Amino acid sequence: MSRGRDPVVAPAVVLVWAAVLLFVLYPMSRLLALTFWDGGPTLEAVRGLLGDWTHRAALVNSLLLAILVGTAGTALGFAFALLAVRSNLPRWSERALDAVVLLPLISPPFTAAIALIFALGPRGLLSYHVFGLTNVNIYGLSGTLLSETLTYFPIAYLTLKAVLANIDATLEDSAFSLGARRWRVFATVTLPLATPGVANAFLLVSAASLADFATPLILAGTKFPVLPTQAFLQITGLYDMRGGAALCFLLLVPTLAIFAGQRRWLERRGGSFVTVTGKASAATRVKSLSPAAIVVLAAACGLVVALVLVCYLIIVAASLVRGLGADNSLSLAHYAHVFSGGLKAVRDTLFIAIVSMPVGGLFAVVLGFLVARTQFPGRRALEFAAMINYALPGTIVGIAYLVAFNDPPLALTGTAFILVVCYVFRYSLAGTRATTAVLAQIDPTIEEASASLGARRDVTFRRVVLPLVRPALLAGMTVLFIRAMTAISATIFLVSLDWSLVTVRILEGITNLELGQASAFSVLVILLVYLAVLVAGLAMRRLNAGSLGRAGTLLGG
Amino acid sequence: MVTADPAQRAGARLRLERVSKSFTREGQSAFAAVRDVSLTVEPGELVTLLGPSGCGKTTTLRVVAGFEQPDEGRVYVGEQDVTDLIVYRRSIGFVFQSYALFPHLTIFDNVAYGLRVRRLPAATIRARVGQVLELVGLPGYERRFPNQLSGGEQQRVAVARAVVVEPQLLLFDEPLSNLDAKLRVQMRAELSRLQRQLAITTVYVTHDQEEAMAISDRIAVMREGVIAQVGTAEELYRTPRSAFVAQFIGRVNLVESRVLGATGGRVAVDLWGASLSVATDDAYAPGQRLFLVLRPESLTLVPESAKATEGEVVIPGVVRSRMYLGEKVEYAVEVAGTLLEALTYDPARRRLFDVGARVGVSCEAASVRALTAESHS
Repeated sequence: MSRGRDPVVAPAVVLVWAAVLLFVLYPMSRLLALTFWDGGPTLEAVRGLLGDWTHRAALVNSLLLAILVGTAGTALGFAFALLAVRSNLPRWSERALDAVVLLPLISPPFTAAIALIFALGPRGLLSYHVFGLTNVNIYGLSGTLLSETLTYFPIAYLTLKAVLANIDATLEDSAFSLGARRWRVFATVTLPLATPGVANAFLLVSAASLADFATPLILAGTKFPVLPTQAFLQITGLYDMRGGAALCFLLLVPTLAIFAGQRRWLERRGGSFVTVTGKASAATRVKSLSPAAIVVLAAACGLVVALVLVCYLIIVAASLVRGLGADNSLSLAHYAHVFSGGLKAVRDTLFIAIVSMPVGGLFAVVLGFLVARTQFPGRRALEFAAMINYALPGTIVGIAYLVAFNDPPLALTGTAFILVVCYVFRYSLAGTRATTAVLAQIDPTIEEASASLGARRDVTFRRVVLPLVRPALLAGMTVLFIRAMTAISATIFLVSLDWSLVTVRILEGITNLELGQASAFSVLVILLVYLAVLVAGLAMRRLNAGSLGRAGTLLGG
Repeated sequence: MVTADPAQRAGARLRLERVSKSFTREGQSAFAAVRDVSLTVEPGELVTLLGPSGCGKTTTLRVVAGFEQPDEGRVYVGEQDVTDLIVYRRSIGFVFQSYALFPHLTIFDNVAYGLRVRRLPAATIRARVGQVLELVGLPGYERRFPNQLSGGEQQRVAVARAVVVEPQLLLFDEPLSNLDAKLRVQMRAELSRLQRQLAITTVYVTHDQEEAMAISDRIAVMREGVIAQVGTAEELYRTPRSAFVAQFIGRVNLVESRVLGATGGRVAVDLWGASLSVATDDAYAPGQRLFLVLRPESLTLVPESAKATEGEVVIPGVVRSRMYLGEKVEYAVEVAGTLLEALTYDPARRRLFDVGARVGVSCEAASVRALTAESHS
């Protein structure tokens, strides 16, 4: 297209760039400036941190935890993916597997943590009441590791499921035809082809663990400090902005390393391991798993599913009794509290989530369209910049916003506006990716046809592009809603008395040892989010978007 | 009205003046897709851009449409210089290879799209869409969606959508290449009829020489970004000016030879020892290398003992293969170490030769065309 002369694209590009500059690059540069600039360039803040035992330990602990959670989560995800894709499960059981596995992804933070405290805490339902153990310590590395693994392995599952499903079955068949036995086919064909996917899954889960703020806040305890919680405590406890910013920098370095590693893997995968030919290969059944292996896998995965379900049952139970473990009499007192004192937080959260949806959805679609279908200087840079807030841990983004928007002329913290902005720039990437994926399947000549018939670029966008990317818009808005309902790590720095969030109330409930209230809030959020996913799924089916499938599959990225 | 009388509706003249366009891919040097192309399409005429893939024909078409901006050169429609006019301000109808129908709109809405963009009244739109669907043979299809139509039907909708806005130019980018062979032959006849009926100036891009010959008023054969030759189908077939055109239009035996002598308008050439006098427009000197264009259907197989008549040579050869195809027989005949292709039509009424038979290959001077050695590259 004659892009250079188009009167519509240029203003759109300028607008998007301006927004990204103001709400992504500006806060990030303020954060770095606070760390490294004090009347002149300085390393004082970082050096000061590294002199402190707690902070050095936090760095080491964060990395250790990320590696452990990455390994455990990927292993678990791989087992689930094998079971789902390679073992001829009946359709309903695969669906059930998906439904359970998705639970942690759409739950508010702390869910697994609260459940584990109930189950395995000092007077835990499982540890004390069932097994009679008194020396189980859920706080520290082991509890954090368990909770994060349960929370984040679904990411690996979704990634690896797609990878395994895309491996052409005829490749394995041809290995069989050459005389290889099952384990050999698995070791020489299936596994090598899945390797880039496994590496990618590991990096995704590690990044999630590195960024996790909520779980360690509850479970890590003082003996196992990690970076995101330390940064939070540095600011909210010691009012030390500079120290918090410097801790963010320590967190930034490994995050960027993971991000760079992931991009490399993805690029390499795009090169040599494409086994998707677009040709419908004969639907041969994959046989590289022996029946015995399937039984073992099913048993292992069943155990994990049971654990996840127990966690959620505990939360539901805790919300419905006076004090789970102590006073097990049924009571709606916790819900009464949610709908009286807690109602404002619920209303605020819903308002912000609902406002974020159309704003973020439109931003996602416009950005996706500009990146995929137009040419302008700095296109790749914009694509990258728009990804920053998504890729970085929420703690960093939240502190950067706090640094940038706490004082006039941009005193925005505590307003609904900044909460919406935070979600839009942090969580519209799913919508952008969905948009570019949909656009990749739409022949660009469709837009050229519109232009050839006399339609200006904005008319083409409104009348052709927007209707065609409706599934992506819907998916993007669903993700935004879910995230806005469940996020805490960035926005905890931005809430105020005027605007509060349910997740913050959950945290308060936990710190005040009102676990029943926290559970009731959690159950409410889970129900609302599940309702949203259900509605989105129905709407998606009505849009007849076979290519995108359930909204749930978009939550992994 | 879409069904205007050709006499009333003389389309616009299209003129390309020394158009060049190159592309730069990341990390590669610029690739000249179109180089110094000049071409005039007369009002109501259908000119085909024909060539192998990568010859620049589609780029040329996209420059005409306004999808690409030429690096150099101008494009005129009628008297107006449209080079810097953005695509949606031009008056064109573009038919895409993939049809590019809007999948979310009904057939009616697809065809009405350009009219709605032009803000015509609803009643006019309804009337014109109805008329044009009638014209392409799809009345009653208004409420269907593109994915409910066959490939041929989608093609007709694409044409209807392009012509309903009464464009000054109609542009086709390989419109038939996604159809199966039988439908392709049927559709090209329909496109040709429609174009003549509407008398819209048309540029048509294809790589299929038969399709080009069937529908075009004139054909521009393109190669490596330049126009090799422009002419009617007959001109290109009978008097190709280069080996490339000779090989691209129809089938050919290209035989290297030597000039024995040249007089005004004729050149005597050596054909495996025999001398043949061939008409030519070029100047030759004795001893010069040249190439001869021998069309397979002009080579007749005769018994080995047959004598040559005036203006004809008979060269001895051996039949190496024979393919019986019903309306014709294809031979490969070895002559002095070279395999020549020869066609015999209506085989039921002709004498056929077996593989291994010694035969004479008869060739008439009138059907031979000489090419200078430079044109063979």
